[in-house]
Amino acid sequence: MTRAHRSPALLLAVLLLTMGAVVPYAGQDKAVKAETPVLVTSCGQSPGPNTIKVVLQRLKLAGDTDPLATAETLKAKAAEGTPYRSVIIVMGASLKGMGAAGISIEDEIKRSEILIAEAKKAGLTVIGAHVEGMKRRAQGATAGDTTDEQSIDAVAPRSDILLIYKEGNSDGRFTVISKAGNIPLIEVEKMMDFVPALEKLFGK
Amino acid sequence: MSPMPTAMTMRKIVIAALGAALGAAAGLSFYQSRHLPEPVVPGPGVTAVKKLSDYFGPLEGTANDVNVYVLEGAEPGGAFLVLCGTHPEEPAGRLAGWIFAENASVSKGRLFVILTANRSASTVTRLGGAYPPDYTIVTPWGGRTFRMGDRWSSPLDQWPDPEVYVHYPSRQELAYIDIRNLNRTFPGRPGGTLTEKTGHAILELIRKERVDVVIDLHEAELQYPVISTIVAHEKGADLATLTSMMLSSEGGFAMGVENSPRALRGLSHREIGDNSDAVSLLLEAPQPFLDATRGRTDRALLLTGRDEFVVRAGKQGLLFEKIDDAGWPIDVRVGRHTSTILQILEIWSEDNPGRAVVAGGVPRYDEVIKSGTGAYLKDVKTADPAKIVYE
Repeated sequence: MTRAHRSPALLLAVLLLTMGAVVPYAGQDKAVKAETPVLVTSCGQSPGPNTIKVVLQRLKLAGDTDPLATAETLKAKAAEGTPYRSVIIVMGASLKGMGAAGISIEDEIKRSEILIAEAKKAGLTVIGAHVEGMKRRAQGATAGDTTDEQSIDAVAPRSDILLIYKEGNSDGRFTVISKAGNIPLIEVEKMMDFVPALEKLFGK
Repeated sequence: MSPMPTAMTMRKIVIAALGAALGAAAGLSFYQSRHLPEPVVPGPGVTAVKKLSDYFGPLEGTANDVNVYVLEGAEPGGAFLVLCGTHPEEPAGRLAGWIFAENASVSKGRLFVILTANRSASTVTRLGGAYPPDYTIVTPWGGRTFRMGDRWSSPLDQWPDPEVYVHYPSRQELAYIDIRNLNRTFPGRPGGTLTEKTGHAILELIRKERVDVVIDLHEAELQYPVISTIVAHEKGADLATLTSMMLSSEGGFAMGVENSPRALRGLSHREIGDNSDAVSLLLEAPQPFLDATRGRTDRALLLTGRDEFVVRAGKQGLLFEKIDDAGWPIDVRVGRHTSTILQILEIWSEDNPGRAVVAGGVPRYDEVIKSGTGAYLKDVKTADPAKIVYE
């Protein structure tokens, strides 16, 4: 590995220069766009939202991260006069994360559904993201733990855009949802490809 | 004239003699294991070798008054602590630390390395577990033998265990045996058990040396969901996430991130972050030797990570990490640790130039796999005897 590839800043620069080549758009809609400021939240309290948060910070894109954001969060921001334009809901569940927050997957699904409804009502773009690969799918969970898939069922079909780490779509689940709902699907090959993917999505 | 011993008496004498012989043989093995010397040839970057008792006096003279290797750069900067051997039975962490102590050079900031955080636990193996007493890493000049160790401090150094272990200061009730588990006794306490005193001493080092980041190296069984990951205190969530993204994209292996649970007490990633200014991270590499469904528990399994029964468990969907007939060789596990530490150092230093720690001379994942861990262990026979220290 070269020194350039070990440095996040240099790698970011290389990725941005070559971003057309490294961002595959499986949804075939090259005009897919979203606007900032963006609210990043979770459906399942996995550590995934932090991946999006770190990328947004590196790109200096305006946004906030609140793993437990509600419809009220959107309303409060609008009342301040700087409404969110997009919501990224990171799918995938963590039993530890939900346990620490004292909530269940049912609570998370209900919160997400209300949040999505409010976002759609306010004209925001809803982006369903899955960033942790098969580790955050039922195949990578304890036998019988279906909370990851419940999280996906709650968010993905209701999203305007799907942003997916390709390894987590190795069974084609997100491709099926994308085609069924005609939802643009952005797949990234490598984790660091989220940088140019979000750069392009938010049109910076 | 005394009467002839009866057949029953003779049988008792023979059984007692056999028992004594077995006890002597086992005792000799335990003694040799406990006292197996582990030399360290400090590399060019080591500027001082301190003791943990330098930070907490009452530890002096105990089994856990361990060495603290200090690598200080010419240029001022931040400070990192690499903590190895919190659980000595997870050898990839200690070996990765050995590579740092014998090879690393630091140009900016300070790097502290503890190779055997719970030295007492390194002098014993799992009671009744039939673990090998030691293992040997092949080197170009022969080999280096290390103590196998255990997860818990030796009962010879800390005994008896309570019926219930009440963690200090949270008062959370934990398994009785974990009162001897260093990674359940952080932040420790000055008047506590040996293991608690050790945790307190490490926190004292972190506070007195103004350590910015602590990295605690571990290995995990494949049936444990927290594996191939960085467990991060919330203060280190961004650092861990970016490290994971870089390694998973360009480092040659997948590395996840898990948040440190607030409700689980005593662990380094939680308590060090809560009780000091440092960012605390814990790294987990896969080690099939620890899996409950393993086969023969021998040196080969420890070093190759190959086990047909664990593979079979994987085919049944019972594992949280992949495994095939190639297993999880020690070089792969050591390389994951060295690469992850280096990546964390680089990201931290780039984001915090005033508290940067710049280190070199340490092989990454692909280099450790290519050359083997032994290639980075120095030949004790040709080293200056005055410089050799022992763990």
